[in-house]
Amino acid sequence: MLKYVSRRVGVGLLQLLALTIAVFFIIRLLPADPVARLVGMNASPEAYAQAEQQLGLHRPLLTQLGVYLGFDPEIAPGLIQASLGVSWVTGEPVLKEIGTFLPVTLQLVTLAFVFAFVLSVPIGMAGALNPGGGADKGVFVYSLFAGSQPEFWWGLLLIYLCFFQWGIAPAPLGLLSPLTSAPEPITGFLLVDAVLRGRFDVLHEALSHLVLPVICLSFVVSGPIIKMIRQNMMRALQSDFILYGRSIGLPKKRIGRYALRAAMAPSMTIIGILYGFMLSGAVLIESVFSLNGIGQYAIRSVLNFDYPAIQGVVLVIAAVSLVIYLLLDLIQAAIDPRIVY
Amino acid sequence: MSNLEKPLLDARDLIVGYPSGGHYSRPVNGASLTIRPREVVGLIGDAGSGKSTLALALMGLVQAPGRILGGSVEFGGQDLTKLSEDELRAFRGRDISAIVQNPRGALNPLIRIGEQISNAYRAHTRATPAEGRAKAIEMLTMVGINDPERRVNAYAHELSGGMAQRAMIAMALAAKPRLLIADEPTSGLDVTIQAQLLDQMWQTVQDTESAILLVSQDLGAIANYCDRVLALHDGKIVEDAPVRQFFAMPQHDYSKEILGLHHAQGDRFPEQVSDAANDILEVEKLRMEFPVRNSDNVVHAVGDFRLNIKAGEAVGLVGESGSGKTTVGRCLVRLLDPTESIIRFDGFDIGSLDQRSMRKFRSRIQFVFQDPFDSVNPRWSVSDILIEPLRQLADMSRAERRKRAEEVMELVGLPVELLERKPRGLGAGILQRINIARALICEPEFLVLDEPTSVLAPRARNALIELLGKLQKELGIALLFITHDLTTVRYLCQRVAVMYLGQIVEEGSVEQVFTAPRHPYSQALLEAHLFPDPDHRRVDHPSDSALDGEIPSPIDLPTGCYLASRCPHADETCRSIPQNLSVLSDGQTVRCWKAEHEEEPAEMAPATKTG
Repeated sequence: MLKYVSRRVGVGLLQLLALTIAVFFIIRLLPADPVARLVGMNASPEAYAQAEQQLGLHRPLLTQLGVYLGFDPEIAPGLIQASLGVSWVTGEPVLKEIGTFLPVTLQLVTLAFVFAFVLSVPIGMAGALNPGGGADKGVFVYSLFAGSQPEFWWGLLLIYLCFFQWGIAPAPLGLLSPLTSAPEPITGFLLVDAVLRGRFDVLHEALSHLVLPVICLSFVVSGPIIKMIRQNMMRALQSDFILYGRSIGLPKKRIGRYALRAAMAPSMTIIGILYGFMLSGAVLIESVFSLNGIGQYAIRSVLNFDYPAIQGVVLVIAAVSLVIYLLLDLIQAAIDPRIVY
Repeated sequence: MSNLEKPLLDARDLIVGYPSGGHYSRPVNGASLTIRPREVVGLIGDAGSGKSTLALALMGLVQAPGRILGGSVEFGGQDLTKLSEDELRAFRGRDISAIVQNPRGALNPLIRIGEQISNAYRAHTRATPAEGRAKAIEMLTMVGINDPERRVNAYAHELSGGMAQRAMIAMALAAKPRLLIADEPTSGLDVTIQAQLLDQMWQTVQDTESAILLVSQDLGAIANYCDRVLALHDGKIVEDAPVRQFFAMPQHDYSKEILGLHHAQGDRFPEQVSDAANDILEVEKLRMEFPVRNSDNVVHAVGDFRLNIKAGEAVGLVGESGSGKTTVGRCLVRLLDPTESIIRFDGFDIGSLDQRSMRKFRSRIQFVFQDPFDSVNPRWSVSDILIEPLRQLADMSRAERRKRAEEVMELVGLPVELLERKPRGLGAGILQRINIARALICEPEFLVLDEPTSVLAPRARNALIELLGKLQKELGIALLFITHDLTTVRYLCQRVAVMYLGQIVEEGSVEQVFTAPRHPYSQALLEAHLFPDPDHRRVDHPSDSALDGEIPSPIDLPTGCYLASRCPHADETCRSIPQNLSVLSDGQTVRCWKAEHEEEPAEMAPATKTG
C-alpha cells in the first residue's frame, strides 16, 4: 500500500516534470510577444531591450528552462527551490498568488461536489430501484435539462431570481461584502480560516455567498453523477449476488446496501474526472459570481502573456488532479477488496 | 420415504412469463410438481427449458421483468403466489433456500463471507452480530471447510470454486430451511470436488432432515443422489418417476432421447481398432514450460508426455483442471511451441518444424475448441466460417468450395440452408457441429477435440458423441478427445490416458482402465466420477479412495511421485524416487512402482457397470 502510494507519487512527479517542459516550449511557440505587451507597442528599442533583459528572455531557450527548473539559483530561484517564479504583471511570486486564488476554487468545487453527491445517491438509487417509474423519468428530464444549458446561464438565472427578484440571496460580489474584513489567512481557505480564527460572522457571510454558485455548479455536475449511479446500481441489482441475496430472504434494506456499495466503486471514477475538469472549468461560474478563483487567474495570465503564471497554473492544477485521482483510487480500494495495491 | 406423507411443496400449473413484444413468452407453462419431506428430487431438462426459472419461481422469485402469471405453490399450508413481498421474504431462506451455479458470482464480492452468512442467518432470527458470526463459523465447519475461524474473514474472490460453493451452502442452510433448491450446484467444478461437494450437501440435508430439489443437466449427479426424477420439457413436467425406473424405462420422448446413448451402449465398450493399423501419431517426448513473469521460475505444464495414436482410433485424455490436458492438445497441433518434443505425425517429426513448414500439415491435423460461440466469427455466415480453411490451405474454385461446404454440412447432419445463417441464434449444439464441420473440411486424418461437449445440454452432448463415433468409423479419423467427463470417454474412446500434473499416470484400453484402474490417481478419479447408473449410487456405497489435499503447484514439483502428498498408499520410497511410466504385461502402462510390482489390478467397486 505504502509502496503503491510512493510509486504513484514518483510517477506523478515525472509526469509533472514532462508537463512542465512541454508547456514551457509550447507557450514560447505562440506567435506572441510578451515584451511588447509589457512595454507597449511604441516603446523605444532600448526600453524594449531592457524589459527583455528584466524578464530573462534574452537568454538562450535552454538556459531559460534551466532557470525555471532551478538549475541556476544564482540567476533566480526555480522549481527545485520551490519557486514558480515571479509574475511579470504584478511582480509577486506566482506561488503566493496561486495560494490566494486556488483555495477559492477548491472550496467552491468541493462544496459543490459534496452537495451534488449527497443529492445524486438517493436520486440515482430511486431511479434504479424502479426503472421507468416516475422518479426515473423525472431524473431523465432533470439530467437532460441540467446538462443542456450552459452553467453561466443558470448562474444568471439564479441571480436574477434569488437576488434581484426575491432578495433572498446576497449580491454576487465575491465571498465577502467589501465592508467585511477578512480574517488573517492561516490555510488560505476562507471558510477554514474563519473557523480557526473564531470569526463565525465571516463564516456565515461566506457561506451565504457560496449558496448560489454551489447550487449552480452542483446542478450541472449532478446530471452525469446521477446517471452513473443509476446505471451502476441497475447493473448491481441485476447481478447474481443480489438475486441470490433475495433467494435467501435478505431484507430489502440489506439488498439495497449490497447494491449501493457495489455501485459506488465504479461511480467514483466519474467523480474524479469531473472534479479535475471542474478545477479549471468552474471559471464561468467564478466570473458570474465575481469569485477570484484559479480560473480567473488563469485567464488573466493568458491574456497578459504572463508566462510564469501560466506555467504555474497548469502545474498546480495538474498536481491537484493527480492527488485527487490517487485519493479516489485509494477510496475505491477501500470499497472493493478485489482491488489490491 | 412414504408416498402417503403429505407433500412439503405442491406446485400446480405454474406459469412464468416474460413480456416480449406485447404478449408474454412463457418459459414455464403449466408445470406441476410435488416434493415430500426428506426427499431428494432431481429436475432435468434441456438448455433453455426453463429449469432455473421454475426453480426460482417455486420460491416466488422471478428475475425482472418476468412475472408469475398463474398457478399455485403450496408450502406448509400457504400458497406462496398469494403472499405479499414481505411475507415471501421471510419465507425464503427460512423455509425454502437455494444455492445456484457460479458460486463466486452469487456471493457478494465486497463483503467477507462470514458477514454474509451472518446476514443470512440474522435475516430470519433475532441474533446479534456476534451470534451471527458464531453461526457462520459453525456452518462453515459443518460444510467441511478447513480452518473456519480464518475463512469467515475471506472474500469470495479468495476462495476456490469448490470452497465458494460450500460457503454458499452454509449460507443457504444457516436458517435451517426445510427445502433446499440446488440449481446446477456443481457445474464448472472438477469431478473430485463435485463428488465431495454433493456428498457434503446430501449429508448435511440428511442431518437437518430437509428435502432437496437438485436441478441439473448431469445425469450422473441425478442418478447418484436423487430418489425421484422430474423431466421438464416445453415448460411442463413431462415425466415424474423414481430414479431407477427413470433410468431403466423412461416414458417421455425427451427422457428416452437423453438416455438413448446410455441404453444403446449397455455394458459394452467401444470396439478396438485393428492391431494392423499404423500409428498416425507418435509422441515420444513432449515437455512444455511457461516462464513465470518477474521470476526465474517456470510452470511445468507438461513434462515427459508420451502417447501413440493409431489411425482411426479415439483416445481420451482425462484429468482434473490444471493437469496439462489442454496444453498437450495445443502442442500437438503446434498452436504452442513445445519446449522440447519429438512428435511424429505419419512419420514426420512435426514437433520441431517452424510455423511455415508446419503449414503443409495443417490440413491434416485439426483442432476443435471448447467454447463453440467463441471459436467462430459472429459476423461471418456459416458458409464463410466453413470455407475459410479451404481458402488458406486448398486450391479450389468457388464452386468447388461451396460444394465441399455442403458435403461437410451433410456429414455433421446439418441442413445446407444453415450455410447462409450467422452464428447468432444457433444453439451451442449446432454451433459445435459447425466447428467440427470446419475442422473436417480439409479432410484431416487427426482431430484434437478440447472439451467439445462441456457446454452442451445432455441431448446435444449425446448427438455430438454419436456424430464423433460415426466420423471416426466412417472416415477413419483418429481423435484425441480431451475431457474431464469420463462418461463420454466410456461411450466414445478405445483407449484412455489419465493425466496428473503434466504427466500421464496411466494409459490403457478404456475397458482396462475403467474396470480395473491401477494407479491410485485413476482409482480416485473413477471413484469420484458420477456415472449415470442408479444401481450403484454413491450415497449407498461410502467411498474410501478419495484423495486428500489439493493438486501441488506446477512451479515446485515434488521430487518423488507427484501424487505422494495425496496418495493413501504413499511411503518413503514414493516420496523420494521419481516414478517412470512402465508397460505391464497386458499392454497397460502405469506410473507407480507399487502397481507395477503387484501386477494385479487394484480392487475397486465396479462403478462402471450400467443398468
